[in-house]
Amino acid sequence: MSAPFELWHLVQQFLFHEARLLDERRFDEWLALYAPDAEYWVPYAWQQASPQDHVSLFYETVALLRMRLDRLQRELAPLDTPQARVNHHLSNITVEQGAGELTARAYLLFVEYRRDEQRWFAGRAAWRLRAEGDAFRIAAKRVDLLNADQDAGHLRFAIPF
Amino acid sequence: MHRRVYTDPAVFEQEMARIFRRAWLWLGHESRVKAPGDFFTARMARERIIVARHGDGRLHAFHNRCSHRGAEVCAAAQGSAKSFVCPYHAWTYRTDGSLASVPLAEAYGADFKARAAGLGLEPVARLASYRGFIFGSLSPEGEDLDSFLGAEVRAAFDNLVERAPDGEVEMAGGRTVQRYRGNWKLQMENSIDLLHPRILHRSAIDAADRVDHGGRAPSIEWDIVKSNGLTLREWDGLRIAALPRGHCWMGGFLTKAIDEERESPVQKRYREIMEGRHGAERARQILAFDRHNTIVYPGLFVNSRLAQIRQLQPVSVDCTEQHGYIFRLKGAPAEMFEASVRMVNTNNSPSSIVTSDDHEIFERIQQSLATGAFEWVDLSRGLEREADAEGTNELPMRNQHRAWARYMQQ
Repeated sequence: MSAPFELWHLVQQFLFHEARLLDERRFDEWLALYAPDAEYWVPYAWQQASPQDHVSLFYETVALLRMRLDRLQRELAPLDTPQARVNHHLSNITVEQGAGELTARAYLLFVEYRRDEQRWFAGRAAWRLRAEGDAFRIAAKRVDLLNADQDAGHLRFAIPF
Repeated sequence: MHRRVYTDPAVFEQEMARIFRRAWLWLGHESRVKAPGDFFTARMARERIIVARHGDGRLHAFHNRCSHRGAEVCAAAQGSAKSFVCPYHAWTYRTDGSLASVPLAEAYGADFKARAAGLGLEPVARLASYRGFIFGSLSPEGEDLDSFLGAEVRAAFDNLVERAPDGEVEMAGGRTVQRYRGNWKLQMENSIDLLHPRILHRSAIDAADRVDHGGRAPSIEWDIVKSNGLTLREWDGLRIAALPRGHCWMGGFLTKAIDEERESPVQKRYREIMEGRHGAERARQILAFDRHNTIVYPGLFVNSRLAQIRQLQPVSVDCTEQHGYIFRLKGAPAEMFEASVRMVNTNNSPSSIVTSDDHEIFERIQQSLATGAFEWVDLSRGLEREADAEGTNELPMRNQHRAWARYMQQ
């Protein structure tokens, strides 16, 4: 069932907040939006059914995400020196209410600038959200990039989508 | 080595012709072409290749290029087909590559039937398998596959297969493709460079040190990152071997950075299955095969312990793709395959916590070499101690470049 306007608005503000935390490299605050048992998944194959039996671009627990971002935050990781600047643009946001959880979907445009180069990725993002008081917790986030499985592969990714 | 070896497009063209068109190159695994009609596409040098199992049960490999105008005849990465039909003018080929039919063939003259025998999809000159691993060579001449690999490289494939309780492995789980803007040889050198991991990957090692496992067993992703944190003395003590034809291997290091061999319930179950099949002594031998990468010149990395293979696909003098593949050990607990998948996600995918730093460095090297201000690359470490080379000795890199020189001078 699609959510009433007010709820849709709240979820949208929450997703904008999540995007901004990543873009501003406030990684600890970003991770705090995720439930301890959350999954973060960027499939490798188009319409990939499972992260267990096929490789993924990212398939991470919160602990693994924390390790990944910790190294970007505190050390001079070569791949992030100089640091990438990124924007997460969200549009076409829809929210559906399920039993105890909400499902939000959006189109994602991810723009990254680093070392004289600007890269663009388009994709479809989906979140499973749990309401916690006035706020939400992310139980799962999945981003399907249009070109996830492109034959030529990808240059390295540092910041999550 | 002179900088031009890494930056000159003319040298790269010579490498394609003299190294990649002569050596045996890995094409894939027989588990992908079990039944007649099964096929997959692959690359050799920059050529696009189809590997197919024909109706007679035999494997064939041929160029994915119509004999008519040159269009790709097969767009799928893998599948099953009765024939390959060119989408442009419907020239149709059997799964052994031979030409089956051409529309309105009479327009080619009365002798076309006779000529058609030579108009099949151009075959890969030589095709051979070792324990299910399919290789091809674009050169009709040269030593056979077993000799090319040599006993030490064959041992790595043997061990990968023997680690499967059923004695059979299956390629599964898709592949990863990491692209970097640097010469292919930079990755060849780096993969046997044991001085760099603790230094270059320090940000990841330190982050792994700070992980709070909350009393649970650490994940395999953590293990891999953490293992790079051996001390430089420990890295220097690892075994390395420089082999004929530019091949080499390095000793295992994965558990050395971790307190001790911790056997998880899954590993215990697996060991017991292996002992049940082979007896305790033989199972111990198989599992004690302690190598990390076995590196087959010019661009294949076999890791039996992690059940994965990586392959370099040079794109141009300053661009390379690194492909990663996983193998399911038949008869082993399913969790082991899942762990291999997770390990590849973290280590050998574009989001890698480890190899992304290597690729960053390759690009910086490539940029310096391209300017011309930096003339010679130094690979002299351990030159006086080649007879008893260990650890951080750059002997295996020199061994690669000696093979390079032999190929290029032929």
